[in-house]
Parts: sequence; structure tokens; C-alpha cells
Amino acid sequence: MLNKTIVKLAIPLAVGALALTGCGGGSGSDGDTLKIAFQGPLSGDNVALGENMQNGVKLAIDQANAKGELDVKLEYVAGDDQGLPDKATAAAQKLIDDPGIVAVVGPAFSGATNTASPLYAESGLVTVSPSATNPTLTDPKNKFTSLLRGVPNDNQQGAAMATYFAKKLNAKKVYLLDDKTDYGAGLAGVAEEGLKAAGIEVVKKSVPQKTPDYSATAKDVVNSKADALIYAGYYQDAAPLAKKLKEAGYKGAAISGDGVNDAKFIELSGDASENWLLTCPCTDATVEAGTKAFSADYQKAFNRAPGTYSAEAYDITNMIIEQIKTMKGDVQREALRDALAKASYKGLTKTFSFDENGEFKGTDVYLYQVKGGKIAYQGNVNELVG
Amino acid sequence: MSLQEFWDYLVLGVMLGSLYAVIAIGYTLVYGVLQLLNFAHSEVFMLGAYGSLIVLQFVSPADNPSALASIGYVALAMAGSALFGGVTAYGLEKVAYRPLRRRGAPRLIFLITAIGASFFLYNLAGKLFGRDPMTLPEMYDNHNVLTIFGAGVNVTQLLQFATAVVMMICLDLLVNRTKLGKGIRAVAQDAEVASLMGVDIDRVISRTFVIGGVMGGVAGFLFANLNQASYTMGFIPGITAFAAAVVGGIGNIRGAMAGGILIGIVETMTVPLLGDQWRSVSAMVVLILVLMFRPMGILGERVGRAA
Amino acid sequence: MSVVESSKDTGKGTGENIASAASRLRRTAWYQQPRFTRLWAMVALGVLLALVTGEQGTTRDIFFSVKGSLTGLNLWICLAVTIGIWALREFAAEPIKSSVAAVKSTVSGPAGTVQDRLRADARLRWGLIVGGLVLALWLPSTLARTWQTVLVDQIAIFALLAIGLNVVIGWAGLLDLGFFAFFAVGAYSTAYWTGRLPVEPPVVLNNFWVIPIAVVTCLITGVLLGAPTLRLRGDYLAIVTLGFHEIIYLVAKNADGLTGGPQGARLIPDFSFSFGGIEYEWSIDPLPYWYLLVFFIVLVIVLFSRLEHSRVGRAWTAIREDEIAAAANGVDTVKFKLMAFAIGASTSGVAGVIFTSKYGYINPEVFPLLQSILILAYVIFGGMGSIPGVLMGAALLVWLPEALKDYVDPADRYMYLGALLVIMMIYRPQGIWPSRRRQRELTMAGEGVGDADAMSEPAGGKA
Repeated sequence: MLNKTIVKLAIPLAVGALALTGCGGGSGSDGDTLKIAFQGPLSGDNVALGENMQNGVKLAIDQANAKGELDVKLEYVAGDDQGLPDKATAAAQKLIDDPGIVAVVGPAFSGATNTASPLYAESGLVTVSPSATNPTLTDPKNKFTSLLRGVPNDNQQGAAMATYFAKKLNAKKVYLLDDKTDYGAGLAGVAEEGLKAAGIEVVKKSVPQKTPDYSATAKDVVNSKADALIYAGYYQDAAPLAKKLKEAGYKGAAISGDGVNDAKFIELSGDASENWLLTCPCTDATVEAGTKAFSADYQKAFNRAPGTYSAEAYDITNMIIEQIKTMKGDVQREALRDALAKASYKGLTKTFSFDENGEFKGTDVYLYQVKGGKIAYQGNVNELVG
Repeated sequence: MSLQEFWDYLVLGVMLGSLYAVIAIGYTLVYGVLQLLNFAHSEVFMLGAYGSLIVLQFVSPADNPSALASIGYVALAMAGSALFGGVTAYGLEKVAYRPLRRRGAPRLIFLITAIGASFFLYNLAGKLFGRDPMTLPEMYDNHNVLTIFGAGVNVTQLLQFATAVVMMICLDLLVNRTKLGKGIRAVAQDAEVASLMGVDIDRVISRTFVIGGVMGGVAGFLFANLNQASYTMGFIPGITAFAAAVVGGIGNIRGAMAGGILIGIVETMTVPLLGDQWRSVSAMVVLILVLMFRPMGILGERVGRAA
Repeated sequence: MSVVESSKDTGKGTGENIASAASRLRRTAWYQQPRFTRLWAMVALGVLLALVTGEQGTTRDIFFSVKGSLTGLNLWICLAVTIGIWALREFAAEPIKSSVAAVKSTVSGPAGTVQDRLRADARLRWGLIVGGLVLALWLPSTLARTWQTVLVDQIAIFALLAIGLNVVIGWAGLLDLGFFAFFAVGAYSTAYWTGRLPVEPPVVLNNFWVIPIAVVTCLITGVLLGAPTLRLRGDYLAIVTLGFHEIIYLVAKNADGLTGGPQGARLIPDFSFSFGGIEYEWSIDPLPYWYLLVFFIVLVIVLFSRLEHSRVGRAWTAIREDEIAAAANGVDTVKFKLMAFAIGASTSGVAGVIFTSKYGYINPEVFPLLQSILILAYVIFGGMGSIPGVLMGAALLVWLPEALKDYVDPADRYMYLGALLVIMMIYRPQGIWPSRRRQRELTMAGEGVGDADAMSEPAGGKA
């Protein structure tokens, strides 16, 4: 066992040391380093998603430093908000207080964005979110003046799913499942409206994340005699659901959004994912040379494949870096914010540009399908439905 | 809901419930001897799942295995999970609980220690094994093996149910027929007197933890097999199984089985009636109702006759 | 079942077997000496330490992290540290002990007299309290804005919660695992009465008016939940409150038409007042909220300390120490337990109102079950029953994860927090700053006399 006295002495010492260093901190900005931060869940239940994005940001920064096109050195700063609204303010303020930080990729979750954005707005530090999709975030009433959304909101994908089912598959009855997250509920809400407008019968149910047993839900899907299914959620939960659906003998079509459009979905669900349709506002992510190189570099740097939103975070970071380049050394927070708001950047996944509320511009949604254990590109949804 | 559908869901519920029952037994056993709400049991369960994953990583099952090979894989995975679960529970008792017991600390302190240990273990697992979920490799062809009045039961579900039944029978025999079982019952009744009568309390408690840990570990494997493994997988089934143990009558092994199956049925029935999102709510409502009208659980609390 | 048979075998030993077994039992091998078992424990601890401080693993290769931690230099450093500690303890225990004792005696001399003086002189004590208050009001204005935010958004809110929970668990000895649910009730009341939920309120109120309403709502909820369940024994109360929290959380998440579901409620206004021509609105700046929170914290502390030393407080102590004896002496246990429960609940509700007004946004993810468990840990860690204790517990444990961000991988912060909780409970179960009465109860429980909480016998009997 531990020596009692030593522990008794060591703990206050350690805590004291932490306290001293913690208070004495506060790094000033060097003339030749600029910092780009990421705010998202780096601890807690959603770390996997946060790490995907963090790695994307890190990779972009490392590559820019390696290329040496900038006359300043870029540095990465992590801002962990656990994906929770109540932890986001402290995380945001910490980033704002660091004068070296010129831009933030994030916040990753809509809830955290809601509480952190007033602080960012006040400070003028720009935030470009790769994944916060709640449509209300860009409501001008919020006065989130520093928020740019680097991802199309739920409306576009939800509507695309509805049109595809209505026009291409001529579905009669659609079973709509959301995962009770902000993302899933938003997506499902939009899809429901679209389906109802097209006169399709909708069964809307929810299956929260981490449900212990998806068998009952799968049975309910089969019993409902729906000929198509929409799952609005993330791949972690879509995978066991897909398995149980296959076991329950579900034969209809199944579609899901960019939260599931991830190689790990196939890895986790095996052949149960076969023929699943996946939408994504991103263009073909497997064919282009740039994407392939990204994938390989990512694999090399982090010993794993890029996940959901990795590429988006990478793109957004590169977009920020490009703007920093054009500013030639004199990088001010407000100036960078205004420059980014007006900029247009063609990344690996899509072209990024924003409207006056910071909303993502562009409505194209693309369709993919799992075939032979690979996510195969099908084309633009609008073109597919003709 | 037609009668056939009702029956289908009932069978599904029993199968899920038997999984809860195996976890609940771990809670109940520890409660029996220590009167301790072992919050860290859900982490024992989680590490059990990783135990089976690691074993299967070594064996790496072939595609389309023969029936015999399938049984071998399952047995190996189960052994791995039992080992991990048992070792974790043993370590937990030795490191976290024994020093407290020596001091006669109040149970609240145990509770906080359990919470601390739980935090530590699940974050450690996330660090060691990565934070994405993982699935077990396919060990057998998961087809329907039998039909109970029209409701199909597949291999995974049968495995769950059979394991639960076998474990409960073994445990029942162990507690009622063996010397260790006598020790467990004696400690549960009155630890002080038991120690005066020559029962080595430390050893009995330690072994009880190991037995509970083995069960928790195997349950972890079964859960990973049904769903998937991740470092946060313990929390929700842990709380549910804990509720099940209380519903059945905490400290009572048969009660844990009954409570587990009842909660499993209630949860599964909620899905077609109210929707999956109300699953836990209905389980908790059942818990509160049972406690209000039968405060000792369905089969009665039997601390001291922990069988 | 092999276990069954093997233990049967050991049961039927013959006489000579027993004799030789007894002599074998008397001998202890060298590795069974306590010193070496301690060495093995330290080696195991070293390996664990290496794993804890090792590299982040990946699901691609499940052995990656384990392999990395157990082959590199890190392992040897960790082993050297733990074995070093072992060696120090085994071979240099005496000098360390005596030097620690010397330090203790030199410190405890003046510290003891200071303590005695404080106890004896009421004026001095009041002076200290006023001084502390002035410090609390002034000091935050010198901090960096980050720490101001942490202080207001997290520490102060949790301090208020901890004071409330202290009444329930520290004074009345009721194990409440659903305390944070009332915080959610307060938060959603705010969203409702300021008109930010899908359901319209009859009138839209100022946040200050929401506070009394939230207090009443939480009181009623507390009594409704408590009345049927407080008759249950300690453990069952814990489980029921836990279930209650889960229900509140899931209703917030699932009843979309009522609570806004997972998308939550936004644009909730800040506190503001306009009274006699003076208008003020709290805003994004943390400091004004800090003063508001200090006001509420001081208010509840004053109210609750009056209660603690009244008839009610004495009834709580009696219930906590021996419920049956208290009932036998004519204390209406259910009434007083209910009172503690409802008072705690309404404090939690007030904290919820302030939180919601400060953040302007809530969603169900703010109120997971984990929060109830954490707040309980804060109270115990600080030293339940003592107000300065729980304040320190909440402050330290809320601050620690924020501070750790700079030193460790953020994902590992809660691992360290968990380890700290375990170590603390093993070595200092009474908490940082326990109340005197509580400390005595713990010592008595350790000696096997009396109980330290209303949860019947200590675990594992009083062996």
C-alpha cells in the first residue's frame, strides 16, 4: 500500500504546485507564432468525435508549418468543452484570453455553440464550426456575430432525404428514427416535414444513443411494414441498429446522413450495412487525389483512419490558414473574422462560403451507398431524382 | 399490437432481461456481504467486454466457422471476459474497499470510493483501448435456432438466456451447498459474529467480489456480443441492472434474476407502446412503484440468507 | 461445477492431514512477509502508473497503448518511483516519521493556539468571516477572465448546490442521488416563466420573480417525491432519488412539445431590475453575476446556520446518528427528513434559476445523472456537515479538471479526478475540512460505536 504520510504530504504539494502554475500562466503572443484553437469534446462521452476534428485541425497546421509558406509559425491549442453547454463558457473564455489565438475551429456541438458564442461575439474571435448543425444557430436574434457555420445545417440533408424517398424510391410509408441528439432531432424534424409535404405516411420514433438493445426497435420497424427507413444519428449507433435490422429481416431501403457517412460504420456493422444509402453535403471523398493524400497523411500521423468531420475540420483550418497568408503578418482577430466571412474556399469536401448571418452557402447534397463494404459515390441528389 | 407481436416482444424482453439479470447478480452479491452499492460494477462489466475482445483478437475467428469452432470461440471469449472481470473486481476490493473496511468507514465513504474507482476505470479503459466503439468479430452464424410459439430466438439471444440460467443455478448451488457459500451467508448475516466463529471475512468478501466480477465480466461479453463494446458502455446497463437488483430484492440472488427479467420485459414492451426513448423511464417508474408498494423488492430482501 | 467439488474435497481431511496442514500454515514463505507483499503491491502500482501516464490507445490496434506503456522508458521510471517509495518506507521509516512529527509539532503549536483563540473569541471569528467576505468580493476582480468564468459559471453554482446538499446529506444524513434533478426543475422553470419553452406561460416574468416560483416548485416536487419514499431505509432512498433524476432528465429530453427536447431552450434573458428609476441588467460580464451569487450563497449560509443550531438542526443530528433512538424520543423523523429534503431541493432550484439566466441556454445534456453523483462527491470530499468544508470541496473539485487541462490530455482529466477521490477516501474519509461533530462520529464508527449516517450498519459489519 501507499505510504500514508508520503501521500499526505504529496497531495497538497502537488495541488499547490498546480495552483501556482495555473494562476501564473497566461502566455503572451510571440511575434512569430499564431495559434489556431479547436473547441469541442475532448473528454467525456463524445471524445471520439472531438478527436476526429482535433486531428484534422492538427494535421492542417502541421502541414502548413512543414510547407513553410507562412512567415509565422502556427501552433495548435486545444479547448475542451466536453460537448456540454455548461462547460463551454469556461473553455471559450480560456481561448479568448490567450491573445495568440487568432481563430477557433468549433465549437463542435450546437449546445456548446449556444453558450460559447456570446463570449466569442464580444471578443471578436472568429469561430468556424465544422459540425454544429442546429438551424437556429444562425438566427440573427442570437447576435452570434463571430460564428460562421462551416457545414450545411440540418435543413438541406433532411430535405434531400425526403425528396429522394419521395421521387426516386416512391416510398409509401417511411419509418423515421432519430437518436435524440440535437443533430438527429433537427435532421429528423426537417425530413418529416419534407415527407409529409410529399404525401408520404411517416412513422416517427426515437431511439436514443447507447440504447442497450436495438432488437425491439428493429422489430418495430419490420412490424410497421414501412418500405423505407431514415436514421438520423451517428455511426456508433447506426451500426448496431443496422445489424439488428438485418437480423429482424428488414428488406426496405435505409438512409442516413453525414453522421453515419464514415468508414467506421461499415467496420462496426459488417455486411449489415450493405445497401445503406448515405447522404453528405460533401463531394466524393474517396476518389479525388487530394482526399486520398489527406487520408494517407492522417493515417500516418494519428495511426487511424479519418473519421466523421475530420476532413471538414481539416478544410476549415486550411481556409483559415489561407486567410492568414493573405494578411501577411498583420493578423488581427476582427480583421480575420471579416475576411473569413467574405472568403470562399474550395476544400476537399466542399466549397466553403458564408451568407451575412454566417450560414453556410450552398445547398448541394450528395448521395452515397454502401456497396461491397465500401462507400460508393452515387451523385448529386437533385440530379439523381431528375 | 396483435397477440403474436406481443409474444415476440415478450420473448425479446426475456432475452434482454436475462442479460440484465447476470449483471444484477453482481450488484446483489456484493450488497449481500457488504451492504454496499458497488457503483464500480459497471466498469467491471465494461472491462469484461474488453477481455473478450482481446482474447478474440488473439484467436481471430475464421470466416464461416464450424459449429464446434463456434462453441470454442464463444467459450474462449467468455473465459477472457470472466478473467478480466474477476481480476478487476478482485483488485477493486483489495485496493479500494479493504482499507475502508479495516477502518469501519461508513457506507457513504464506500459509495464515493466506488464512484471514484468507476471514473478512474472507465477513463483508463478509454485511454488504453481507444474511445471508438468496437464490435466483436463474428464467432458464429447468427440465425434463428428455435421458435417459441412463433417468436424466433437467435443464437445470440439463446446464448444470453442459457448463460444466465446456468450461472444462476451454479451460484445457487455455490451459495447453498458449499463451504464458501456458507461463509458468504454467515458474513451477510453478521460479519462480526461470523469472524468470531472462525470465518475468514477478508477471504470470503474477496471471493464474493471475484464471483460477482466473473459474472459481470461475462455479462460484458454478452452485451458486446449483442451490441458493441466501448469504454462508456457500462453506465446505462449498470444503472438498469442495479434497478433490477433492487426491484427483485437486493441481496437476493433469485430476486436479481426475477428483477432483471421483469425490467427487460418492461423496457422492451415500452418500445412498441411508447417508443424507445421512454425505455429507461418506464424501468425507473417500475422501480419506484415496486419500492413504494413492496419496499423490500418482489422476492424480498434477503441479506443474510443471500440465496 | 468444479468450485463445488473442490471445496467439498477440502472438507474431508483426515487427522494427520490436518496436523501437517497446520504446521504448513504456521510457516510463512519469505514472499509472504508483509514487507514483500507490500513490494508486490508497489510493483503493481508502478505498472498501473505506467499505463495511466502512457500513450493514448486506438481502436485500430487494441494493444498499441499497452505495448507502448509497458516497453518504454516510462515503465522503468514509474517502477523506480514506486519501488523507491517502498524502500523509503521500509528502510527509512523512522527518520521520516520523526521529521514529520517534528514539523507537525512546530506547526500545530501556533496553529493550535490560533484555533483556540478563534474558538474563544467571538469577535475575532466575526472579523475573520467579514475579512473572508471582503476578500471573496474583491479577489475575483484581479483574476484573469477565464478564471472569473470558471468561478462564476461552475464553482459558485456548485458551491450553492453543495450547501443545499449538505443540509440533506451532511445534517439529516439522507443519501440523495437525485439532487441535481431539482436543479433541472429550477432551470426549466426559468425557461418556462420567461416564455422560452414551446408551452406558453400565463405571464412572462422577470428572472427575479422566477426564483420564489422555482423555490415553491422545487419544494412541492421535493415533498411529492419525498413523502412516499422517505419512509424507506437509506439505500432505497438513494435508489429512488437516482431513478427520479433519470426520469426528470429523460422527460426533459423526450417531451419535445413541453421542454424543447434535445434542442433545448435558447435566448433566455439575463437578470434585470428596474426599481425606483434605477435600471440594471446583468450581462455577459462574469463579475456582476459573481456578486449576485455571493449574495445568494451568503444568504443560504446564514439561513442554514440558524437552522443548524435550532431545534430542527438538533433533530437532524439525532436522526443522522440514530434514527430509531430519535423516533423513540419523540422526534417526528419523517417530518424533519422531509423538511431537509425539501430545503435542499429548493436551494438546488435557486441554483438552477441563476445558472439558466447566466447561460441563456439549456439543453438536457446539462442535467445528466453524472452531475448528481459528482455533487455528492464534492460534498463528501470537502467534509460533509461543515459549510466551509463543502465550499472548499466544491471549489477544489470543480477547479481541478479545469486546471488539469493545461497539464494532461483533457480526456484523462476525470481519470485523475477518480483516482484522487479513491485516495482521498482511503486516507482522509472525513474530507478536507470536516465538522467537529462529524469527525467524532467517524471515529466512533471506526471504533464500532454508533453510526455515522442514517444508512444503518457500516459496510462489512463492524469487524
